[in-house]
Order: sequence, then structure tokens, then C-alpha cells
Amino acid sequence: MSILDFLNFYLIPGVVLGSIYALGAVGITLIFAILRYAHLAHGDLATLGAFLAFAVVTGFGLSPLAALPIAMILTAGVAVGIDKVFYEHLRERPKIVTVMASLGIALMVRSVVQVVWGVDAESYVRGIVRPENYFGLRIKDREIYTVVFMLALVGGLQLFLARSKWGKAMRAMSDNPNLALLSGIDNKKVVILTWVIAGGLCAASGVFLGINTELKSMMGWHMLLPMFAGAILGGVGRVEGAVLGGLIVGIAEELSVLVLPSEYKAAMAFAILLFMLLVRPTGLLRGKVL
Amino acid sequence: MKSKILAIAGGLLAATALASATAKAADVKIGLIGGVSGPIAAMAPAMIDAAQLAVQQVNEQGGILGGDKLVGVVGDSACNPQGGTDAATKAVNIEGVVGIVGPHCSGAVLAAAGSVTIPAGITVITPSGTSPEITGLKDNDTVFRTVPSDDYQGRALARTLKGMGYDKVAVSYINNDYGTGLANAFKSEFETQGGEIAGYAAHEDGKASYRSDLAELAKGGADTLVIFDYGDGTGLTILRQALENGFFEKFVGGDGMKSEAPIKELGAENLSTFVASSPVGEKSKSLDMFNEAFKASGGDPSAIFVTTSYDAAFLMALAIEKAGGDKAGVSAALREVSNGEGEPIMPGEWKKAKELIAAGTAIDYKGAAGDENFDANGDVPGTYALFKVAGDGFETITEMK
Repeated sequence: MSILDFLNFYLIPGVVLGSIYALGAVGITLIFAILRYAHLAHGDLATLGAFLAFAVVTGFGLSPLAALPIAMILTAGVAVGIDKVFYEHLRERPKIVTVMASLGIALMVRSVVQVVWGVDAESYVRGIVRPENYFGLRIKDREIYTVVFMLALVGGLQLFLARSKWGKAMRAMSDNPNLALLSGIDNKKVVILTWVIAGGLCAASGVFLGINTELKSMMGWHMLLPMFAGAILGGVGRVEGAVLGGLIVGIAEELSVLVLPSEYKAAMAFAILLFMLLVRPTGLLRGKVL
Repeated sequence: MKSKILAIAGGLLAATALASATAKAADVKIGLIGGVSGPIAAMAPAMIDAAQLAVQQVNEQGGILGGDKLVGVVGDSACNPQGGTDAATKAVNIEGVVGIVGPHCSGAVLAAAGSVTIPAGITVITPSGTSPEITGLKDNDTVFRTVPSDDYQGRALARTLKGMGYDKVAVSYINNDYGTGLANAFKSEFETQGGEIAGYAAHEDGKASYRSDLAELAKGGADTLVIFDYGDGTGLTILRQALENGFFEKFVGGDGMKSEAPIKELGAENLSTFVASSPVGEKSKSLDMFNEAFKASGGDPSAIFVTTSYDAAFLMALAIEKAGGDKAGVSAALREVSNGEGEPIMPGEWKKAKELIAAGTAIDYKGAAGDENFDANGDVPGTYALFKVAGDGFETITEMK
């Protein structure tokens, strides 16, 4: 196998897949850091985002990339709504109750998608796109968009968390909610903000998965395990860790085919998850929560 | 507060009890379990419509048993073992069905049969569960199918491809009972015929990227990829990524790939080198009668597995009538109504069949998909054809022997 083959068929697909996982993993890690529970409806929220973008694409004839911001805003709204209706009154109860509730939300969101858009596979653009050749590297435009957008979104989020007033409030609440409350931070607003960001990132990961493959009602659910693996691998509560973790999981899945029979590809994320929890549960970048 | 909840719960229970009591008096229920969601979601509606057509014909022509209404209760197997078991449990324990038509996917059939219907003694006729595994099931003669086993399809496809000049192929199959059974049969026959399998690998359902899988398969140097998967599911993703990256030039699919989805999503212009095999009804008077009736009810008779679905439902109705509604007798009665001996019954001839059964005359159902004479394992022989993409649909290239 030449080095170009390795890059084209193993590494580049891995990076693209990893970017999609990373977008979801960042949302998971944020929710873990601020609200302290595993949000199992994350995958299906991504599906919803992808299909909302699909509705915009078919309804207004926009390109999927133009539909992305609209889908992100809509999904963020849905995420905030779900929090208000289902999770808010469970806030003081043991966290496991909310985790289970989020599993129920996952099923509900998926069913809504299936009722509204049906269960057939759909795609944003009909037909196939052959990759461009860059000095032997075969890359499609949409793969470049995926990676660039992921980096831009996460970079923006990092800046926001580090510099802005509300970003600092989020970090404060992540460190110690009671202390944050005492120092005058409105916890409710921080929670809403968290859901807006997580919902938007969720939609982005769903849309990019849809752009790179097809839209299916189960697409997000299948991504849930790799996204969690990415978040835990990078260190729960660390945004840059989630990006790193997501990329590693994506690349590991694609590279696993070189050494393992391909039917075990799906087990790769699971293996990484188990291994990390055994060896270094705090994650590569030493997460703040676990 | 507590007493209020209790009162509401009690009220609900009473309401459902009443509802099911009234339903039981007049309805004979059969379960129609299919992959409504999941990878064959695009095929399932037509299949269920075809089965419902049989149910409708029964009701229009005097109903079942003493003029009762036959009701097809639709359940979703999601095309996987868990879904199949759940749907079958619900059909058997809650709906109280006399027999089940379905589930649609092999894995769902095996799981539902093993954990639900065989212990409960309910007869199952699957219209599309094609895995060779189903043949060997220890089922007390309760599991039947109106679709031929993939052992035959895999071998016929291998012979046909070899005959058409495909000498070196790579095989990618979905890691479930359907894919494995079909791929094994194909591989053994293709090699026996002197062809070369230059890559052979299973893949897991529902991943976002299969490019590394495809790159591994392409290493063997084959220009043809044989995909045993579902065209609405992962099969579509694999076909897309193989086309986009130019890993292979020619593509061959099994019956699961003969779906509208690849044409709709990838465009017919990109699928000029794609062929797929599929069971076809042998030309017969029965098939014409079914086609006419299905067209009249708004269905597309050329959709995949509609003939087998119709036959399964009609046979189930005949067997229930013959057994007098006794679910333990359905499987024996099923063999009696289609053993090749007796007055022939064509699709839709419910009234005639009912009269003959009442008179004690032997009948033999001649189905739309074939004669449906079950062998000792509850299997039927089949006819296959190879299809290519033409316009926005499929067109027959050749019969497969």
C-alpha cells in the first residue's frame, strides 16, 4: 500500500468522520461539565438537526451549507425546549433519573423524525460527487468544509469560553455551581446557554454526517457511542479534549480495518471507551469532571 | 393524589379490557410483522399492502370462519432480532393473533421464532426471510416461507455472473443472518465454477464511512463488487462511496439491493454498471390475477416481495379457515391447503376456497409467486432473474438458473 493510498482511503475518511464525532462530543462534554449528566438523546438530536436542514434544503432550495445555520438555530431552540419541559424539574433529583429521561427523549425525537420525514434514506443532493485530486490526494469539497467548519466552530467556542463574560460564567458553573450562584451568576441562563451551544453543535454534526453520507432516521443513534467515546477519551469537561477524542475515535475506526476484520469496526469505539475507563478514566487531557 | 392516579389507571384498564373483549368476539387477527422502520423501510409498505390485499379480499368475500372479520395487525420488526422479538411478543401475547405473516428480515424471523412463536405454537410464514439458517430451524413445523432460501439465490447468482464473464469479484456483505447466508452460498458456488473471490468481508450496519473497508476489498484487484446488503440502508452508503472513489467499476447486488433508493439517491446515470438479482414470479395465471387485483388497489405489482407477501397472507387465511380457527392446527392445515393435490385455488378466490373447505374437498393454493408447495423444511423452490437499472426502475436482463 502506498502512502497516498493510506492517506486517501484510511486517514482522510478518518479525519472527516472524526470531525463529525468531535462536533457531537463537544456538546456531550459541555453538558457533562455544566449539568453533570450523560445526555443520551444527543445522537437523535443530531438526526433532528440534519432533517431540519433537509427541510430547509427542499423547502427553500438552499444549499446544505446555507441551511446549516438555520438548522443549528432551530435545533438549539428544540434543545432548550426539551430542557425546559423534561429535564428542568428533574434537576434536584439524582442525575441517573435525568439520564434515563434523556433516553426516553432520544426515542421520542427519533419517532418524531420518522413520523415527519419517514424512514427512507434521503440525501441533500441527488447524485454522486467524485473527489478532486490535490497532488494525488483525493479530497471532496464537502470533506474540506466539514473539517474547516468543525475547527471554526470549536475555535469560536473556545474563544467564547475563555474571553466572554458568559463563557466565564459557564466555566464558573462547571467548576462549582453553588459558588457560581453565590457570586451572582444566573445558573438558569447558563443552562439555557449550554443547551443553545450543545444543540447547535449537535445539528452541525448531523448535517455534516448527512452531507457526507445519507440522511437516515437512525443515523444519530449510531453515532452516539463514538461521540461518547470521544468525549471520555479527551477528558470529560474539556472542549479541546473532545475534539481530540472525536478525531482519534474516527481515525481509529477507519484504521482498524487494516488489522481487524471489518465487521469489528463498530466495536472500535467501544474498545477505546473501555480501555480509557480502565487505564485513565480522566481522559487524555485530564478532564475536570471524572 | 394517589387515589386519583389509581382511579385513572383503573379506568384505562377497564377501557382497554372492554375494547379487547368486543374485538375478540368478531375478529380473527393475524400479525403482519415487517421491517417498517430500519434498513428495508422502503420495501416494507408495499409488502404489507399486498398482505392487506389478501385480508381485504377475504373480508369482501364472506369473511373468515363463521363470517368473522379477518384483521391484519401490523407490527414493526425494524429488521433486527430485538425488534422482531418485541413485535412477535406483542402480536402473540397482547393482540392474540392466530398466525403471523412475517417478520420480513431473516434475523428477525430467527429471533422471533426461537423465543416467541415456536414456544407459543404459533405458525409463522415469512415472505422475505431468505437466510439458509431458517431451513434448519427446529420449529415443530411452524415456520414456513413463501420465498426461496438464499442458498439457492446465492448459487444461481454465482452461476449467472460466471456465465456473463465476471471472473474476479470482491464480496462485501452485511454482518447479519441475511448477508452471511447469501454470501456463503455465493462464495462456495462461485469458487466451484472457477471464479476468483478477490476480497470477502463483512461490514457492520450503520457506520458513516466504509471507505477503508472498500479499500481493503479493492486490494485484491477485482473490478466488480458484489454487495449483499439493503439498498435503503448501508448498501446505499457502500455503493455511493465505492462509486465516488472509483474503487470498483461494476456492482452486483442481491435481492436486498434491488430497491428504488439507490436510483433515487445516486441517479440512474451513475448506475449503468449495477445489476441486482431478485426472486420473480413465474409467469402464471395466478400471477396475472394478483397483478390485476394489486394494481386495482393502487399497488405496484413489480415491487419486490409483494407476491410472496400476498401468498403468505392468503395461505395463512386458508389455513386458519381449514383449521377452524384453532391456532394449534394452523401449521398442519397449511400443509393441507398447498401440497399440490386438490382443487386449484387462485389468488383472490376466497369464496370458492371457503365453500370447498366447508364441503370437505381438498384444495391446493396456486400462488402468485409460484405454487408454494412447501417441502419438509417449510421452504419453497424459486425462480430468479437478474435486473439492471433502466430509466427510473429495474429491467430484467436474464433469468437465473
